[in-house]
Amino acid sequence: MTAAAVPAEGPTRHDPGRGGFAAAVPHALVLSRRAVLGLWRQPNVWVFGSIFPLLIAAVQSSAFARSTGLPGFPEVDSFLQFVLPATIIQVVLFGSINGGTELGLDLESGFFDRLVAAPTARVAILLGRLAGVAVLAVAQTLLYVAIFAAFGATVRGGIPGIATLVVLSVLLSVGIGGLACAIGLRTGSAEAVGNSFPLVFILLFISSAFFPVELMTGWYRSVAERNPLTWMIDGARHQVIVGFDLSEAATAFAVALVIIVGSFWLAVRQLQRRLAVAS
Amino acid sequence: MTDSLVDPDAAVPPAERRGLGGAGNPLAVANQIATRSTRNTLRIPAALVPTVAMPVFFVIAFSGAFSAITDIPGFPTDNILSWMVPFAILQGASFAGMGTAFGTARDIEGGFYDRLLLAPTRRWALVLGPMIFAGTRALLPLVVVLPVAVVAGIDMPAGPVAVLPLLVACVGVGTVAGLWGLGVAYRFQSQRAGALVQLGIFAAMFLSIGQAPIEIMEGWLEKVARINPVTYVLNFARQGFLGDLSWSSTWPGLLAIVGGAAFMAVFSARQFRRLFP
Amino acid sequence: MSLPIEAEGLVRRFGELVAVDGVDLVVEPGEVFGFLGPNGAGKSTIVRMLTTLLKPSGGWARVAGFDIATQAPAVRRAIGVALQDAAIDPLMTGTELLHLQSVLHGIPRREANRRSGELLERVGLTAAADRRVGTYSGGMRRRLDLALSLVHEPEVLFLDEPTTGLDPTSRLALWEEVRTLNSERGTTVFLTTQYLEEADELAGRIAIIDNGRIVRDGTPTALKAAVGAPTLLVEVDEAHLVGTREVLLRFGEERPARDGRVAIGLSGGAAAMATVIRALDEAGVALQHVELDSPSLDDVFAEATGRRLEGAES
Repeated sequence: MTAAAVPAEGPTRHDPGRGGFAAAVPHALVLSRRAVLGLWRQPNVWVFGSIFPLLIAAVQSSAFARSTGLPGFPEVDSFLQFVLPATIIQVVLFGSINGGTELGLDLESGFFDRLVAAPTARVAILLGRLAGVAVLAVAQTLLYVAIFAAFGATVRGGIPGIATLVVLSVLLSVGIGGLACAIGLRTGSAEAVGNSFPLVFILLFISSAFFPVELMTGWYRSVAERNPLTWMIDGARHQVIVGFDLSEAATAFAVALVIIVGSFWLAVRQLQRRLAVAS
Repeated sequence: MTDSLVDPDAAVPPAERRGLGGAGNPLAVANQIATRSTRNTLRIPAALVPTVAMPVFFVIAFSGAFSAITDIPGFPTDNILSWMVPFAILQGASFAGMGTAFGTARDIEGGFYDRLLLAPTRRWALVLGPMIFAGTRALLPLVVVLPVAVVAGIDMPAGPVAVLPLLVACVGVGTVAGLWGLGVAYRFQSQRAGALVQLGIFAAMFLSIGQAPIEIMEGWLEKVARINPVTYVLNFARQGFLGDLSWSSTWPGLLAIVGGAAFMAVFSARQFRRLFP
Repeated sequence: MSLPIEAEGLVRRFGELVAVDGVDLVVEPGEVFGFLGPNGAGKSTIVRMLTTLLKPSGGWARVAGFDIATQAPAVRRAIGVALQDAAIDPLMTGTELLHLQSVLHGIPRREANRRSGELLERVGLTAAADRRVGTYSGGMRRRLDLALSLVHEPEVLFLDEPTTGLDPTSRLALWEEVRTLNSERGTTVFLTTQYLEEADELAGRIAIIDNGRIVRDGTPTALKAAVGAPTLLVEVDEAHLVGTREVLLRFGEERPARDGRVAIGLSGGAAAMATVIRALDEAGVALQHVELDSPSLDDVFAEATGRRLEGAES
């Protein structure tokens, strides 16, 4: 009895192969389409998550309205305008989790096996999920900008400013979506993905998301100042409360890109791990 | 078998109906239920984490991020901990109530509740049991968080008696939240009801003077907060941390608690009947 | 032309458990090959290895001429797979799923549309094609699963327990479809099943698997003939059981049977029946029930393993 798999005896058939990258594109496209359709057809998955951050913003802007007059508070039209970027980032963060939960569901249902048994380009499985959450992020961002504007909180950076927010949302959703996929692949469970996400919320809190870092004190301020999410949010906020600024935008993008690099590495590793039982 | 909460053993012959000491002494049963819940929770300590972790997180995050609001003219204190800690503790108390609801919903869904319903005892024992458990659990955040807050420098102008209104409020909030949770659990009979329970509690807690005092609010929130009973409960619970205890801060809060409890008791009683289609 | 499937010494371990314990296989082009065995025998594990979803712990295999370990992508292009749990996406429509599968196999749009239409008609899902799969019945899902596995006209088709859980009508329809596939297109079919009837009806050759090993293989007819004698099954009440057994053992070897019954392989065949009945009568046995059946695959299994196949009648 052999101890490990051995190569087949005798001559094997020649495999002409199929172009690597060229094959990945249509696969990624069709799996992206599936991801977007899937989200669209399950409104219960994203509707509530899309409303919740708006409610929080509404409560906070009413409760802390007068804090905008405090010395050191950045110049804003209203507290609502101050929290616009953070509200968008919140909704994008929580929406991107779907990339992971849906992947977990595919693993649980066996659809993942169907994809793997077919000559699917492996990376397309990930890209499809990420495209889904990116599309959701764009939609949510534009919706929020519109709603906030209706309540008097406009983006001073105008169209370029709004474009910056949209690009940032896409980058962030891909980054966080990648993390969620990594967790989904590792655990094979949709529930586990959902359960690991309060951590993200905590990280968001110890930042400049809900209040200016300048007005914080002590160790809390030190941590918040060093939190990369702060740099990202400040860069985004600049577009909203001051005006369009390329270097500020670049800072925000840079943070998101670092997240993407890290999460992609993790996700690909977990995907390979899962596929390692096959070839 | 009748299905009223009040006298389920009306059909039982008088010889057996002896209240204390007869079959299924309701107080003993309630105690047993509370003990079971406690034991089950201790077996899954992770279940306790939200009750304690959330208030702790809340204190750190809100006191850290929003510490500057005490500088706003009209803010009743300049110690952010004095403002936020009682609110955080009350939130924790409300989660205790939620936990009870989840436990009951789980029992109903899993069928264990049928066994309880068949027990030869007064029906109100089935409600009292979880409520004892909730009331006790509601004190946990207070016991854990307050000492830490004291060390961190919380201001208590009224001295140690400041703890008293907060304690009463915790038990009250835990009870009201628990009854709310039970009512929803009876109504939907599935653990999915949890989302609705949480939503109700968050809405009640945050559409109040939880984060900011009425004095500095602007817009729609001020109007909502004024009619929200939780506002008065918070006033009652916080008073010792903002100044001296006073009757004028106390009676609206007590009234809100008692009224809330009565309302939720009626609500959950009505929903209880849904267990007998 | 390479063999559709060949394997030697396939082994798969899960920790301490040896699910597949040295399996050799040869499947000829155009065959319908059946793997028959109870739950847990290792059927699904073998399918997963041959379809490159699982790596063998030992041995080798070639599917459509490609090594499953080193040429997996080529294997995937050549095979169609319909696994046990009809893994489909409930949110998509039948048409959308067929389109997805076509893209994954690199089939050009126009060709894909043509094939999808054809396949939907063959499996009888044309009317339901634009409904979400979540609304399909179990039988409809299996049929869609089959269509999805055929969209690229594979050389080898793998069906893992294709009719488990289906109602009798759907089962017959699926059998018909498999037969047509095999006869019209010459597609080699590898199917696993726990149903005797299915193996008997569909497969040209079968292998009986138990505890990860092949215990018998060959054509159903040959296997049954090898068992030889038909089974004589006698049902008596408790008191006469021992006596009955004594008598019957004079006429053939005992075979497994349920409690309260005795079964033997009647070496004299149907002709010996009269003698047997007389002998039982002389012994004073009151017969409740008598059955004489030509050997079934269940008998083949019983002879090889000493047990009856789960769910099969004794």
